Amino acid sequence: MSETDVHGEAVDWESEDEDSDDSEEQEEGYTSPSQPPSSWNFDKDRHLVYLQMMYELLPHHYQSQEINRLTLAHFIISGLHFLGATDRVDKDVVAKWVLSFQAFPSNRASLKEGEFYGFYGSRSSQFPIDENGDLTHNNSHLASTYCALAILKVIGHDLSTIDSESLLLSMKNLQQDDGSFMPTHTGGETDLRFVYCAAAICDMLGDWSGMDKEKAKNYILNCQSYDGGFGLIPGSESHGGGTYCAIASLRLMGFIGADLLSNDSSSSILDPSLLLNWSLQRQASDGGFQGRTNKRSDTCYAFWIGAVLKLIGGDAFIDKIALRQFLLSCQSKYGGFSKYPGALPDLYHSYYGYTAFSFLEEPGLSPLCPELGLPLLTALGI
Amino acid sequence: MHGRPRKAYKPEEEAASAAKAAKLRALQSQFMSNHHNKIYTKEAVDLSTKLLEINPEAYTAWNYRKLAVEDKLSRIESDPDLIKTILDEELRVVESALSQNFKSYGAWHHRKWVLSKGHSSVGNELQLLNKFQKLDTRNFHAWNYRRFVVELTKRSEQDELKYTDDMIGSDFSNYSAWHNRSVLLSSLLARKADGFLPNKKIPDEYKLVQNAIFTDEDDQSGWFYHLWLLDQTVNVETPLLTSSWPSHGSRISLYAGCSNGSFSKLTTFGSESGYFPLVLNFDQAVGGVSSSTVTIDTELKGNEDLVWEPVSKKNSHVSCVWVARLKYISSEPCFGKEYKVKVKIGNSPGIVSSRGCNFSASYEFVFTAHVHDTVEESSQEGIVSWTDGFDIWDAESKDLNALTTLDRSNAQMDSKWRQEAIAEEIDLFRELPDSKIGKLTLARLLMAKAMISDDAVKGVHYNEILELYKDLMALDSSHYQYYKDVHSVALLRKVTSSTEDLSGHLFRCRNMNNSVCLRLNNLSLSRIASVEKLLFVQMLDLSHNELHSTEGLGGMQLLSCLNLSHNRIRSFSALDSLRHLKQLRVLDVSHNHIGEHSVDTTRYLCSSPLFNSEWTQDEVGRQMPTLVTKYWDAYFVLRDLNLKQLDITGNVIAGDVFSSFVLRVVPKLVWLDGKKLEI
Repeated sequence: MSETDVHGEAVDWESEDEDSDDSEEQEEGYTSPSQPPSSWNFDKDRHLVYLQMMYELLPHHYQSQEINRLTLAHFIISGLHFLGATDRVDKDVVAKWVLSFQAFPSNRASLKEGEFYGFYGSRSSQFPIDENGDLTHNNSHLASTYCALAILKVIGHDLSTIDSESLLLSMKNLQQDDGSFMPTHTGGETDLRFVYCAAAICDMLGDWSGMDKEKAKNYILNCQSYDGGFGLIPGSESHGGGTYCAIASLRLMGFIGADLLSNDSSSSILDPSLLLNWSLQRQASDGGFQGRTNKRSDTCYAFWIGAVLKLIGGDAFIDKIALRQFLLSCQSKYGGFSKYPGALPDLYHSYYGYTAFSFLEEPGLSPLCPELGLPLLTALGI
Repeated sequence: MHGRPRKAYKPEEEAASAAKAAKLRALQSQFMSNHHNKIYTKEAVDLSTKLLEINPEAYTAWNYRKLAVEDKLSRIESDPDLIKTILDEELRVVESALSQNFKSYGAWHHRKWVLSKGHSSVGNELQLLNKFQKLDTRNFHAWNYRRFVVELTKRSEQDELKYTDDMIGSDFSNYSAWHNRSVLLSSLLARKADGFLPNKKIPDEYKLVQNAIFTDEDDQSGWFYHLWLLDQTVNVETPLLTSSWPSHGSRISLYAGCSNGSFSKLTTFGSESGYFPLVLNFDQAVGGVSSSTVTIDTELKGNEDLVWEPVSKKNSHVSCVWVARLKYISSEPCFGKEYKVKVKIGNSPGIVSSRGCNFSASYEFVFTAHVHDTVEESSQEGIVSWTDGFDIWDAESKDLNALTTLDRSNAQMDSKWRQEAIAEEIDLFRELPDSKIGKLTLARLLMAKAMISDDAVKGVHYNEILELYKDLMALDSSHYQYYKDVHSVALLRKVTSSTEDLSGHLFRCRNMNNSVCLRLNNLSLSRIASVEKLLFVQMLDLSHNELHSTEGLGGMQLLSCLNLSHNRIRSFSALDSLRHLKQLRVLDVSHNHIGEHSVDTTRYLCSSPLFNSEWTQDEVGRQMPTLVTKYWDAYFVLRDLNLKQLDITGNVIAGDVFSSFVLRVVPKLVWLDGKKLEI
């Protein structure tokens, strides 16, 4: 299995479980946690080599992620931007490639028929356009659409040139009565991940006609658990990724501001002090962040939880030195980051390692836009 | 496949891998062609099976199968056996995909989709789940799917609770099981299911979690559950009125006008405006307090349609403290008379907590207001000095009693089991060898016990709590500030727990006509608490503490003189809550850290200029934009206060520029930094 086991989603977490049987074997043999990391500094040059290598050829481990090609591309290209090296890619070629994944309705009337016209995740989910313009079961996906727009934004492509009207109008079809979103119109699980994708898409296109914000807000608030975190669906266990999707969406939709914690907790739509408690308690004794109570620290949650704390104004309470040490212990000598110390790097954890270092204000990295999970871009795109 | 060794590839392996890739590519393009042309023959569907067996992540293939199933179902008449066969095949494919990757969102979703059709037997689902959940006990897909199956099969919550018993029994570190347990129990307790009365069930739960905690005290799962249980034991959902000013049965004296607002008697109040505040304090934030939910019955004229305001940030509609202003000086002569005021709360529904619970039952209280026709003699334009001239307060504590007694009829009825459960826990945790979490839990338990027990025994608990937090501050320096804060809360609860304790902190201010002053100075307080018991206070000395903010003081609506000198306040926005204090005339914030740092990073409770752009619209803002921009945090606080005396020396911000700014923003100021201003 690959690192990103969530298919079709830009926001994936939870890869292999440390509790599964094979982890025992690893301990003795190959993976020695004591294996020294490549360096006790953020090794920018190695990361550049790593990303460039991935840009040119993906190892076969990513085979099962074929369907998420745009997501992988987003990790590489946005990752290069964090490292200040977008010049390593040919922007026109990239833009043309990304745009070739967009789905179009054969005519305006079909926008009402319940289909979604966003971006396909890869060629293998894309039908060739035949002479009748038949795209009856196109499978464009919300997460791929988020990644496509993210890449375009990062390389400075003018997003106003995109046919956002059909995208947004048809995206409304994906929103359910309870406020959640399906990822594709042919069906799929509905949860906070896709509410977030929809919100980020609206924000990047500067047009909120694609969703009913009030409904989405109510769905999100239903996902807050009694311990202060958010589960992916109402009633489920609080989870770092779910909490990020909830808070970033509320922020993008304008329901909470940077001063969330400064508000009297009683006057807020959610419980900020419980959320603060839950989030801070995810920093484990090794300095890293865990995604759920009593799980191992994992590189990517440095971003998911760190960004939540940043968004609510509670990041001053993080032990940043300890977090940095943990992240460096996951830095690979080949460049990139792994999930746990001593493991092999993968694109997903590498990207969220870069976002985490950007969050820690590592010199030489682009600053972070926590609510979009992207480098902070000034006056680019729209 | 991270975490596994990477071996060098032999040439034959390379070739095999290339062949495999080519095969996969061919498979994929054949599949897409079938999908595109809507071919749902057996061969075509088998092809998608193959694809999914290789890669369960191919969500397009799952979606194709859904279309294929719909197509097949539309062709056969309603033959239940045939339908079942078709759907069972789907379940089989999902199962094999899940054994490849049981975190596949698409596979789990497909299974839900099939079962939602309602033709498959759901009997096997739990068995399948049990198998997967044994392999990965924390898999949240499985837990979510489990909740779905339980709902579909209408399996009882009691049975599910037993399942969490088993899961916790085999591994008490499994927080997912604890979580599911708390969700199930919340529901069972809320609907009072048979055998699930809180007074019976919660004590049982304590026993269960004790096993986990005492087996491995370093495991966090049990501690979190224990904290949840404690919350269930102590907190009552329905909002209660905890106190009011004036309080039930009290007799207050009202005077017209008083420059410094403090009086020699605790029950005396005066204001230039001719209004006195009526304050309601609830145990949790509520909304919906209005003239229709709170009715006032009095002969005092002009109080027919009272406006109730929450003491909270702008645009907020909920608060623990609500205030209305009652007129006591009207055009008609009313001096020298006594007026009874009857307040009825919750006569008509509408007062609701932020969790959505209604105010319990209607409740009423009565007080007497004696309106005097003379201006109280303490009226003076002199400077208020905090440095000397304090005498021990000698009045009978009866006076104080009337002010601080809370109405017991409001207290919860079934507190006995709660006290017993907590008492048992306390005994147990005293046994736990000295660990940080053990001490912290013991302190929390004692705090809970003090909250729900009689006044007489409270003091003992508070002393022990204070000792425990002191130990923790020494043992665990990285959480020092947290312990310090809860230590402050416990200390203030102790001080306010009895009239004897409280009267020890009350003084007479000789230089101010013997005004009564509450002195909580030099206690190393870092946080304010117990405000609900201090609603009557008009003069408060909090100097020489370690306060970072005045959060909470907004509820003390009678406060007119406040000393915050020698604390750790770093910005004016830390004083934001003072904006609610309409009577405040004297404020001493000298010798703090205001202005030392441009951004106050020690507190998250502060506003930012980005969220307050309205200053560009008012007069002072327009006249001196540069100064207002520079001192925006001071501006937002000071312009809403009606100060006559301000002390700011000993702060970095103090100086000629800031003084001239203050004079513009606070035109009624008479004393600044001990000097009388030329008017």
